[in-house]
Amino acid sequence: MKMSMVIQEGIINLLLSPLRSLLALLGILVGTASVVAMLSGGKLAEHEALKQFESLGTDLLAVSLRQRSDSESQAVSEAPLNAALFPVSVLKKNGIRLMAPYVQLFHEMQYDSQEIRGTVLGVTGEFFQAAHIESARGRLISDMDAFNLYCVLGNSVYETVRKNSLEDPLGRQLQIGKNIFTIVGTAKSWPQNSFVFTNINDAVMIPAQTSMLLSRNISDSNIIVRLSSSARADAVEEVLRRFLSVQFPGRDLVFQSPKELIARMTRQTEIFTVFLGLIGGISLCVGGIGVMNIMLVSITERKREIGIRRAVGATRPDIRCLFLAEAVMISLFGGVLGVLLGVFISWLTAVFWHWSFAFFLFPPLIGFSVSAATGIFFGIYPAWRASLLDPIEALRAV
Amino acid sequence: MKNITKIYRSGPVDCPALNDVSITIHRGEMLGIVGSSGSGKSTLMNILGFLDQCTRGEYWFAGSDVTDLREQELSVIRNRRIGFIFQSFCLLPRLSVLQNVMLPLLYRGMAVCDSADKGMAMLERFGIHSFFRRKPGQLSGGQQQRVAIARALVNDPDLILADEPTGALDSRTGQDVMTLLTALSQDHHCTVVIVTHDPKVSAQCSRVVRLSDGSLVK
Repeated sequence: MKMSMVIQEGIINLLLSPLRSLLALLGILVGTASVVAMLSGGKLAEHEALKQFESLGTDLLAVSLRQRSDSESQAVSEAPLNAALFPVSVLKKNGIRLMAPYVQLFHEMQYDSQEIRGTVLGVTGEFFQAAHIESARGRLISDMDAFNLYCVLGNSVYETVRKNSLEDPLGRQLQIGKNIFTIVGTAKSWPQNSFVFTNINDAVMIPAQTSMLLSRNISDSNIIVRLSSSARADAVEEVLRRFLSVQFPGRDLVFQSPKELIARMTRQTEIFTVFLGLIGGISLCVGGIGVMNIMLVSITERKREIGIRRAVGATRPDIRCLFLAEAVMISLFGGVLGVLLGVFISWLTAVFWHWSFAFFLFPPLIGFSVSAATGIFFGIYPAWRASLLDPIEALRAV
Repeated sequence: MKNITKIYRSGPVDCPALNDVSITIHRGEMLGIVGSSGSGKSTLMNILGFLDQCTRGEYWFAGSDVTDLREQELSVIRNRRIGFIFQSFCLLPRLSVLQNVMLPLLYRGMAVCDSADKGMAMLERFGIHSFFRRKPGQLSGGQQQRVAIARALVNDPDLILADEPTGALDSRTGQDVMTLLTALSQDHHCTVVIVTHDPKVSAQCSRVVRLSDGSLVK
């Protein structure tokens, strides 16, 4: 019997009991949907993670110097962290293009006697280049600012200040701790990024040297390093480690490179994927059992039909094909709906997390083939049972 | 058709349904098998129709020994050489009249359009081609039986097995069906075997054998 006929008959039989078919394919639908959603979601997350580095570049190395928790922190001498510590020749030789140390401070800030939330960053001129921050208005901090009380507002801080005071803050005063700073510029909106720990949009940037005056005890400092194209991250890391451990004894050095970060994100995505995959697998299994159940019921009901078909010359493989085709048809139909639902769910996820949505061909393909495989796997047993029926007994059935 | 059979069949608890039955059915013959219920008529019929196999004995069909065929070969023989007509018509309710008639052709491996042509020709022969699209449930008993006969004949079988073909019909339509079967055996030299307990039916057969408790009674 021709394949097309078998398929056509399968579809007709399914349409004759639509409710039952629908219930049977529900499990498959959920299973496929979760498989597709998880794969697409994982892909989207990965895409999103990589996109961060599109704006920032991957030639980065982040170093943070952390106060060792066990040592007496007060005993450590506070050498001011600034770019001048590193001789340019050393940098060039080791493939470091830019070196931008910055410190993070927590101080109360007031503008127009209204409190402002945000962090204070002590930065050098290179910082803006290294972190790709652009000036929106006025100017940025430069090394020439030395110990002056100038500050640059991040985009969000600028917006809040502007909204609260209804006037342009440029050139006006901002109180940080006990000192009055003059606002000399604002930065453009900056895409947030898990590589530079602070959100620049919520920050007020002041000259690095000034920050030393504000606070004696800066516990954590960070450096953003940009490598030249030929440099190897681990070699640079080694040089910096040697250099910094001499300069800042008693500090822990934590290095972070985009590669490492991407690897970590990938690992997280993998865990997520395995977990969702498990859920998908279980629901596919349940769905498959549902299909098997429905098929067994259908065979009991259609015993007589099987008998008649056998009498007019259907072979055992013919009967097997007939029922297997129906099971596969249910699963495929469930699979198609599941794929649609899965893509929709991943789209919802993307909208919810403000990711950009992209359609990947791979997850639907996988979901579709997995559902087909489930149908075949769980359809084999009922079909085999049907084919083994004794024609006489089947004919006698009502 | 030379047909020497010696059949012995045991049921689940070894109860013989047929006991050393030997019968020869000739080509073109119209044989009636009569007997009370439980006498083994149906069993004999099933064995003749390759739905069942005998426990002991030999079955020669058209000059060859078909006693020990495999399941697959039995299906092929049922498909090409046997036509079944049942008391309850045994049409597939989900399929249309034409699809029912086409079914044996499709299982034979014929292309869909060819078998549709042949099926239509068959329906025309029995004067029921006008409602080929309908489902069997929408037809009268006599019409359904004619569809069943069309299906039985569509593959040009050597042997037609009719199990109480008139049992579910009133006497007039039953007589129509009998006329059809008689015409088949006489004009087309088909072998027809009819199982019945209606004396009016058996009277129209060219030969009648009687079964009683699994044995032939002459």
